[in-house]
Amino acid sequence: MRPSAVDAVIAGLKAAGVSIVCYLPDSLFKELYPALDAEPTFRTIRVTNEGEGAAICGGVFLSGKRAVLIMENSGLRASVEPLARMGLGAGIPVIMIMSFRGELGENNWWAIPHGITMEPVLNALRIPYRIVDREAEIARAVADAYQWSYAAYHHSAVVLGGELVR
Amino acid sequence: MRRFDCMTILASRLSDELVILSLGGSVDEWYNAAPHMREASLFQQQLGCVTPQAFGLAAGLPHRRIISLDTDGGLLFNLGILATLGNEQPGNLKVVVWDNECYQSIGGPPTHTASGRVDLAAIARGAGVEQAHTATDIEGFTKLCDLAMKTYGPFVIVAKVDTTPEPGIRRKHSDGREDKYIFVRHVELTESITIMGPSEHN
Repeated sequence: MRPSAVDAVIAGLKAAGVSIVCYLPDSLFKELYPALDAEPTFRTIRVTNEGEGAAICGGVFLSGKRAVLIMENSGLRASVEPLARMGLGAGIPVIMIMSFRGELGENNWWAIPHGITMEPVLNALRIPYRIVDREAEIARAVADAYQWSYAAYHHSAVVLGGELVR
Repeated sequence: MRRFDCMTILASRLSDELVILSLGGSVDEWYNAAPHMREASLFQQQLGCVTPQAFGLAAGLPHRRIISLDTDGGLLFNLGILATLGNEQPGNLKVVVWDNECYQSIGGPPTHTASGRVDLAAIARGAGVEQAHTATDIEGFTKLCDLAMKTYGPFVIVAKVDTTPEPGIRRKHSDGREDKYIFVRHVELTESITIMGPSEHN
């Protein structure tokens, strides 16, 4: 990611009032994670799998603080169980920012499943999402995700792809 | 050791804490063993989510003690959370694992702890949670509860309990959404904050 795109994500999260960031690092966002760690506004929590991260974010919601789960889109598959139970069963929202592995332009065979499964999984869980590939749209997408999730009490996702991550 | 007896002892030591607990028989038992903690307890039906959620709550409210009432099946579903607790060292999080060595809510098939080889407290210590202990009798459980309340740092008590649920207790009949609203309103009231606020006028 370009430094300006990293800054836009951080500015969007700050504007949304986020104070806790859970992540499992991936390669497309590799410049983002150290920047999040270095940002004093955030407490970053590294997790062992994205489902654990989703559940931690759910707990943060219950505390009144705001959290975000940042991951590769393959992490969505690892998160399905807690997301389904928290979102569809209890109305505890998790806001996610994920990198778009497997979209057109993907050059790794192992990442193709991530692109094929991401949108059907989001739709199966009734999670609205926005795919963003322009820097100028990042902050608005993050703001809109929080606005929606705190009105619906359900998860939402911002997917960063295209030239933002390649 | 009976789980209900342990719950009664734990409940007598709680007042301002927030509790997140696991699915199955322990839900109805906690509902009856800790009536003064009903609004302060989030009853969740989420295998593998309980201690991570409790940790998230502990991270968001670092000044308040958070209790996770997990189970052997629930913790085994996501052992990675122990490594996260080992690294993050949340001082205000106390975890009790009701280890009855079976999936009680579906009739009692064994979990991995039934073999006698799998030691959840040892796994927790190996993951960096130094204060992780097993209780096999009420006296031991009581001492560990008191130590946990005095200790600043993550604390795990693995309570080896019987498989028979407490007979004749009242069933809790609210669902996950109702439970969440009750719990969130309690957190809002006791923390003087707004979590689920009113809609905008526009």
